[in-house]
Amino acid sequence: MEEAYLGVDIGSISTKGVIIDKNYKILASEYIWTEGDPMGAARKLIELLEKQFDKEKYQIVATGTTGSARKLVGAMLGATMVKNEITAHAVGTTTLYPDVRTILEIGGQDSKIILVENGVAVDYAMNTLCAAGTGSFLSSQAKRLGVEVEDFGKIALTSKHPTQLAARCTVFAESDLVHKIQMGHTKEDIIAGLCRSVVNNYLNNVGKGKKIVSPVVFQGGVSKNIGVVEAFKKALGCDIIVDENGHLMGALGIAILAGKGNKKKVFDFSVEDMVFKTREINCGRCPNNCEIICVYRDDMLIDSWGNRCDKGALKAGTRTGVK
Amino acid sequence: MKERNSTAAISVKAPVIGLPRAMLYDRYEVLWKSFFSALGMKGIVSKPTNKAMIEAGSALAIDEACLSTKIYLGHIQSLIGKCDYILVPRISNFGLHRNMCTKFESLYDVVCNVFRNTDQKFVAYNVDALQKIDEEKAFVDLGTALGYDRKTAQKAYKRAKRNESEDWKKKVHEEEALYKSQSIKVLIVAHSYVLGDAYIGQPVIDYLKGMEVTPIRADVVDRKEALKQSAKVSKTLKWELSRELMGSIQMHRDKVDGLILLSAFPCGPDSMVNEMIIRKFTGLPILNIVLDNQDGTAGLETRLESFTDILKLKKGVL
Repeated sequence: MEEAYLGVDIGSISTKGVIIDKNYKILASEYIWTEGDPMGAARKLIELLEKQFDKEKYQIVATGTTGSARKLVGAMLGATMVKNEITAHAVGTTTLYPDVRTILEIGGQDSKIILVENGVAVDYAMNTLCAAGTGSFLSSQAKRLGVEVEDFGKIALTSKHPTQLAARCTVFAESDLVHKIQMGHTKEDIIAGLCRSVVNNYLNNVGKGKKIVSPVVFQGGVSKNIGVVEAFKKALGCDIIVDENGHLMGALGIAILAGKGNKKKVFDFSVEDMVFKTREINCGRCPNNCEIICVYRDDMLIDSWGNRCDKGALKAGTRTGVK
Repeated sequence: MKERNSTAAISVKAPVIGLPRAMLYDRYEVLWKSFFSALGMKGIVSKPTNKAMIEAGSALAIDEACLSTKIYLGHIQSLIGKCDYILVPRISNFGLHRNMCTKFESLYDVVCNVFRNTDQKFVAYNVDALQKIDEEKAFVDLGTALGYDRKTAQKAYKRAKRNESEDWKKKVHEEEALYKSQSIKVLIVAHSYVLGDAYIGQPVIDYLKGMEVTPIRADVVDRKEALKQSAKVSKTLKWELSRELMGSIQMHRDKVDGLILLSAFPCGPDSMVNEMIIRKFTGLPILNIVLDNQDGTAGLETRLESFTDILKLKKGVL
């Protein structure tokens, strides 16, 4: 039997998964919506991956999880590697594009830039704890304008005179936008202006002081917006690569990292049939009153986190935990 | 110096002074404790910051106040009624281009106003070198306001200053030794009241240690040398604490693998100085983190983990 690795990327909006062989060839891949239920989405994802996977030929010996629900789903799947999405994306992208020098990424809640030299990430920046200029900003503005966010890019391309919008902070951008709508600017000009303000915001924030060298790969949900891609091309004066599998980079990266890791554990597809539950507990043993998240498998506590000190540490394997 | 209830009689028993474990406590702990103990006073210190204190402080502060101010008010609250006086220093500057953030100039008045409906007495010492009031004069004035004669107060200050300088030398020596560590080293650029805080700063240090990275405090540095070095980066930077941090980066930039800028939202000086650091120190990986009163640590952990991963990838150890 040949070795295979499973990588799962559970984001706030979508859940992605791949199974790769030891040469990092993709054997199975899937992309579904998280719909506010990361555990349910992970279970569904595993089911879909299992259908594409040849269990006679391969055996999954390492499992990695990444994305904002990495801990939760990691506990559920018995992951051997749990890592943040930035590292996973850097590893995934540099594996597919060994020559890449700059990775731009704009997701649902965060944006980042990774600079690469000789296939190794050497520097990066991420938005501070503020979601300015990310996908969620675009989708809320789409709603305001009564346009599907999926159509944003196409509409932006029809504009000849993109509207100038304040770019520094999206709160100001938004009030500026309302003003410009009332002044009579056309929808397509405003949409093109929004795409441009996302790019300017990005370059002034996370891209500040960073030397952007081509080849440039652009990924994350917002990379599907052709208007933003064109705005990046114009602002940077170079070509922008958008991989059609860009959304799988995180899952691929974490699968590779799991494969490289020392910990190995055969993955059991029967998790699909197990019952997982989470419960939030307020510790109450000191004034910090930490919120502790407990994960149960078939009513047995398998993991917990959120405690700031040992007073709130719970033992896996117990049925009740603290009250 | 405006003194509230300064005419109140000193009780026969030595008065008890309350020290809030916030803001400048981390910086002046030894100086304050030594000074009051040399005068024969007893000091009590508020407990390390916890969530209940931050909530209490946030309720007392105006919205625009920085997180550190909110924490400070929470500490004051916890000391009310437990001591004769609470020390709230007012420090304006140590000379030209050596200003403190205006917060430190206003803190005494803010505290007196916020707690005006309590019987609690507050004392300040007032440092304003541009008005020819240096630290020594400020402490002597404080001593006399507390009912001691000038000579006793002066002696207490001199002794406290000696203790402080010995203690600081030791701390700097220990911190400098960390730069020789073989592991990945990260210089944390933050005010002592952010990094030294048990609730907001300590988790960052603990997390980095858990990732097998050596965190080094930029603020624990030979201050004289740091001030000198900071002039190489900027001649006009006006904040003393920012100058020390900037100078510390200049001194150690080749000895560390990356910088983490950690500031409390919304810090005025940091919003400008950290921007300047990012622009001036190119070529060094920098992570900029702004701490707010947020409960979830997920965003923070993601940023710290990915930053250390990049440093590890660069060194080929991941």
